[in-house]
Amino acid sequence: MDNKVAIVGFRMAAAPDIEITRERLAFNLTRGLFDDLGIERDDVGTTIICSNDFLDGRTISNVFLDPHVGAYMKDESKVEMDGLNALAYAAMRILSGQYETALVASLGLTGSQASPYLHIEYTMDASYDRPMKLLNELAAAALQAKSYLAEHGYSEGLLDEVAAKDLANAAGNPNQARRMPGITAEQVAASAMYYEPLRELHCYPPTDGGCMMLLASEKKAGELCDKPVWILGMGRSTDNYYLGDRDLATSLSASQAAAKACEAAGIKDPAGEIDFAEISSLFAHQEPLFAEAMGLMESGKAPDAYRAGDTAINGRLPINPSGGPLGGHPISSTGLIRAAETVLQLRGEAGENQVTKADVALVHGQDGLCAQQSVVFVLGT
Amino acid sequence: MMEETREVQGTWDLSTLKFRIEGVGLRRMLDGMKEGKLIGTKCHKCGTVYLPGPFNCRKCHIAINEPAEVSDHGEIMTFTIGYADVRGNPLEEPRVAPVVKLDGCDSWIMGVLQGVKPEDVHVGMRVKVQWAENLTGSLQDMAYYVPE
Ligand SMILES: [Zn+2]
Repeated sequence: MDNKVAIVGFRMAAAPDIEITRERLAFNLTRGLFDDLGIERDDVGTTIICSNDFLDGRTISNVFLDPHVGAYMKDESKVEMDGLNALAYAAMRILSGQYETALVASLGLTGSQASPYLHIEYTMDASYDRPMKLLNELAAAALQAKSYLAEHGYSEGLLDEVAAKDLANAAGNPNQARRMPGITAEQVAASAMYYEPLRELHCYPPTDGGCMMLLASEKKAGELCDKPVWILGMGRSTDNYYLGDRDLATSLSASQAAAKACEAAGIKDPAGEIDFAEISSLFAHQEPLFAEAMGLMESGKAPDAYRAGDTAINGRLPINPSGGPLGGHPISSTGLIRAAETVLQLRGEAGENQVTKADVALVHGQDGLCAQQSVVFVLGT
Repeated sequence: MMEETREVQGTWDLSTLKFRIEGVGLRRMLDGMKEGKLIGTKCHKCGTVYLPGPFNCRKCHIAINEPAEVSDHGEIMTFTIGYADVRGNPLEEPRVAPVVKLDGCDSWIMGVLQGVKPEDVHVGMRVKVQWAENLTGSLQDMAYYVPE
């Protein structure tokens, strides 16, 4: 990308039950972020709110969140998708030259206040899928998992290994909601079967949470922080709506979005040039599926990569050192939290989950059934 | 209907949705109402008085928590006279619904106005709260407005 946009700060939170209102969560996180950066709301050029009307129980739900994120009587807009889409929108607003700073404010409360599966249920086709009652978010993910495993001849044990790695990482991350220290693949394999082959611990947990992030132009970034993280590239792609018109064994949206982001960042060999990745894998199989689709892992070699520890925090190409969405999935915020976790790593501030080499990273976000849409960012120092 | 178009029956069930709402400002207002008082929250920085009180000031983007009593007298800022419900069904009686700025408060509060003919209501008119006979600490304590 010719112009430079930086991530200069963020605040995030996730828990099974955050125990406060969404309004107070939005306020606490933005107020905290402004205090971290020594700014007030007048210093924010534009705000992008990212939440889900269905889960908020009000249409155009940004109208009641404005005052809490400091956007009262200010330039504000809304994204009703994953937070990484909101990050792209905010970055484009800075690239337009109209704004020096942009706040992305995302939150989703599906741990305490709404079923996480409800909004996906109502994305279903009203003439067939809804009356048939066969398809839901978990069933669709299971279809994708089975298709992916069958395509490569992988065993279901791969799912247990992926989940155990992620949940162990999540246990060491204070920002995660589901924390199970000492978790093993055997324990994952013994958890309740939901939709074959997916078990409870292969699936994301219902989560309350949010993430607020401030972007700045190159000129402004230096004034606001010592360690800006730069957006090197971004890409988006949307696959067919209807599952029957897609190849579920892979993800076209992820591969195309990643290809665009890598091209913008000048990366020709993702597996060789990316140091680590934060991937929005809502279900265990999606992590290797997306990693293969995005060129981070050799296709057909996922079990070898996991068994060799390549994806571990100290591995060749760590994936989800934060623990990923199996540790927490506050809908609307999940992709933005992946970006925030990436910033922590790139700044060398990820504590016991810190990876050894952290100069260039890939961040993935998704929306819709089986990641109908993917968003990918390449971030670097 | 065109031959190509069909209708199917669908449901839109939001029964699993819960709301968690802010309690401090509302509790303060309801507790005050038991004594026939209206208690809002004042921003300690800019002085804005809100009723019911929020936990933060939208202008200053800071947390606020200072109780502020406001008068039960005020002025009609705008009003409407309802002759039908939102689906167009006629009401038995026209209903006068003013929005009132109570003295000492920056928020405007909507209610029902009684004791005056619809044709005599006007913007700028002075009104006061008619309290319920038995105060229980509920929103119904503030029964309706009457001319001052
Ligand atoms: Zn104020």
